[in-house]
Amino acid sequence: MKSSDAFKTAGKSLTQAPMRSFLTMLGIIIGIASVILLMSLGSSAQKLILEQVQSVGSNLMFVIPGGPSGSRLASPASVQGIIIKTLTEKDIDSLRGEPSIDAVTPEVRGQARMVFENNDSETTYQGVSSEFFAIRDFKVVKGTIFTKRDEETFNKVVVIGQKLADDLFGARDPIGKTMRIKNTNFQVIGLLEKKGVGPFGIDQDDLAIIPVTIAQKQLLGIDYFAAITIQAKDVYNIDYTKKRVETILRLNHRITDKSKDDFQVSTQEDALAILGDITGILTAFLTAIASISLVVGGIGIMNIMLVSVIERTREIGLRKALGATNGDIMKQFLYEAVILTFFGGVIGILSGGALVTIIYFILVNLLSTGWFFSLPITSIVISVVVATVTGVIFGIYPARKAAKKNPIDALRYE
Amino acid sequence: MIKSTTSVFVQTTMSEVIIRVKNLKKDYLGDVITTALGGVSFDIRKGEFVSVMGPSGSGKSTLLHILSFLDRPSDGEYTFSGKSIQELNDNQLAFVRNEEMGFVFQAFNLLARSTVYENVELPLIYSKMSVSERKETVEKAVASVGLSDKLLMPAGKLSGGQKQRVAIARALVNNPPVIFADEPTGNLDSKSGMQVMQILKDLHAKGHTIILVTHETYTAQFGDRLILLKDGFIEKDEPIVKSDKKITTLK
Repeated sequence: MKSSDAFKTAGKSLTQAPMRSFLTMLGIIIGIASVILLMSLGSSAQKLILEQVQSVGSNLMFVIPGGPSGSRLASPASVQGIIIKTLTEKDIDSLRGEPSIDAVTPEVRGQARMVFENNDSETTYQGVSSEFFAIRDFKVVKGTIFTKRDEETFNKVVVIGQKLADDLFGARDPIGKTMRIKNTNFQVIGLLEKKGVGPFGIDQDDLAIIPVTIAQKQLLGIDYFAAITIQAKDVYNIDYTKKRVETILRLNHRITDKSKDDFQVSTQEDALAILGDITGILTAFLTAIASISLVVGGIGIMNIMLVSVIERTREIGLRKALGATNGDIMKQFLYEAVILTFFGGVIGILSGGALVTIIYFILVNLLSTGWFFSLPITSIVISVVVATVTGVIFGIYPARKAAKKNPIDALRYE
Repeated sequence: MIKSTTSVFVQTTMSEVIIRVKNLKKDYLGDVITTALGGVSFDIRKGEFVSVMGPSGSGKSTLLHILSFLDRPSDGEYTFSGKSIQELNDNQLAFVRNEEMGFVFQAFNLLARSTVYENVELPLIYSKMSVSERKETVEKAVASVGLSDKLLMPAGKLSGGQKQRVAIARALVNNPPVIFADEPTGNLDSKSGMQVMQILKDLHAKGHTIILVTHETYTAQFGDRLILLKDGFIEKDEPIVKSDKKITTLK
């Protein structure tokens, strides 16, 4: 039997019972549509997160205290009650002298009650150096940022985010006003532009930024840093700069053995790779769940095909009597299953695509949220392949059953 | 009881033997072993029209199934057109069925939702015939049973007589040397039955070997040889002598 005839025969059997064929396909349609939907949503979310991270700047790297994983100082060391105090002013000075580095800012962080008149707010403050604003692309819409001189003279000045300004000052202009952070008076000199919610849901507008010196001495009483942010020069390879940073810090900290590092340097690319991995795993996980419905759909096909084989016992007997071999019968029923799953897959892709488009439209046009339209070609290819393979796998058993029928018993069957 | 005799025909025909059966036995295994054929032997030559008769349970259906390669004997020898059933595998049996045998069943066994054309084409899709040849072959076969105007009608919508004529067209579309007819008039009124028998008679005249299983003496008379089975053995195997279209050998 020619394959074209087998296909025609299989197709004919299916179109002669259109309702049953459609219902049989439904499981596959739903399965494929959900796989497409989840893969698309995963990929959109991934793009969104990566874009937010990238907006921070791609030539940045971060130094945090803590050793390589597995060591005594493995991060987060603070969880184990170890506070690593080795990132100091000396490191900042050394890094500033490195030719491949453009700018460096130390960072300390804390949480404090901030008060203006009768308003107060429990908010994060960040102590940084003046380079911070350029490195992280934080701009003021009103007033000014603080300077090197403010750092050196321990000036109690603060640049605040929009949300904090709203909480403390309401409609009033905060510039020039004096607010209290942890019972110390600070003068508001700048108001940051609205940044929105950053990666990992940190509100970048509910924030007070003060000179690192005053934060260390007055608010925290420490002489080390919680982190160092470094902006590499564009002309240098970021990995080269990373190696230089590691060398400088090891020298300062008198570390000869890499595995005993008390700091970690991660580039923006490292962070992107990790985020990509996380969202990728999440997408794969969701897709795997959606795939379960594909298996259920496949079992549905097998079920209907088995009923169909019994129902068509006579037809099978007749075909055999007229010269069909076991292989011919097998082919016919297998093709039926494959055609069902293939078209189920195609319809599933179309409905999945339609759902993705609707979701995109609702999110972007009706809810005005940032979202990406993403329909990865891999999801389509995977869906079609998976659907067809499902058809073969779940079609084999009924097809074999059909092929094994004895022609006489089949002909006698009423 | 005349047992396993072929002598009557040896001297009357010159043509070659197409079916040779020797001591053919068929047992059905179950809780008790049922013997459907106890050992039958005969030869059928090319161009014969053999009517097989017998009461129900006599083994005539079993015999037809084995002769038409749909079933295998439990014991004994069967050679069709020089090929022994023991030496052929299932696929080879299918090829022989497709190329050298035609089938007409009591229940027509048409695909009700497929057209007359598609039903008649069915044996050809399992043959080596090219797609271009098929159309002409199918149309010729349908024309030969006088149903050219119903070519694209679903088979389920035809009358019983028309259905059986479609089945005959399907049986002869491959131009097989042997046609097996299993109670072809059993589900038909007498007029349609006559038409069907007339077509079989014409096919016989054109040189096809016809093996007809029936329990009606009236249809059996179209043959020129009668094999009468009883309890799995041949009771009679003799020529049908026709005088004034009446069978004199039958009671």
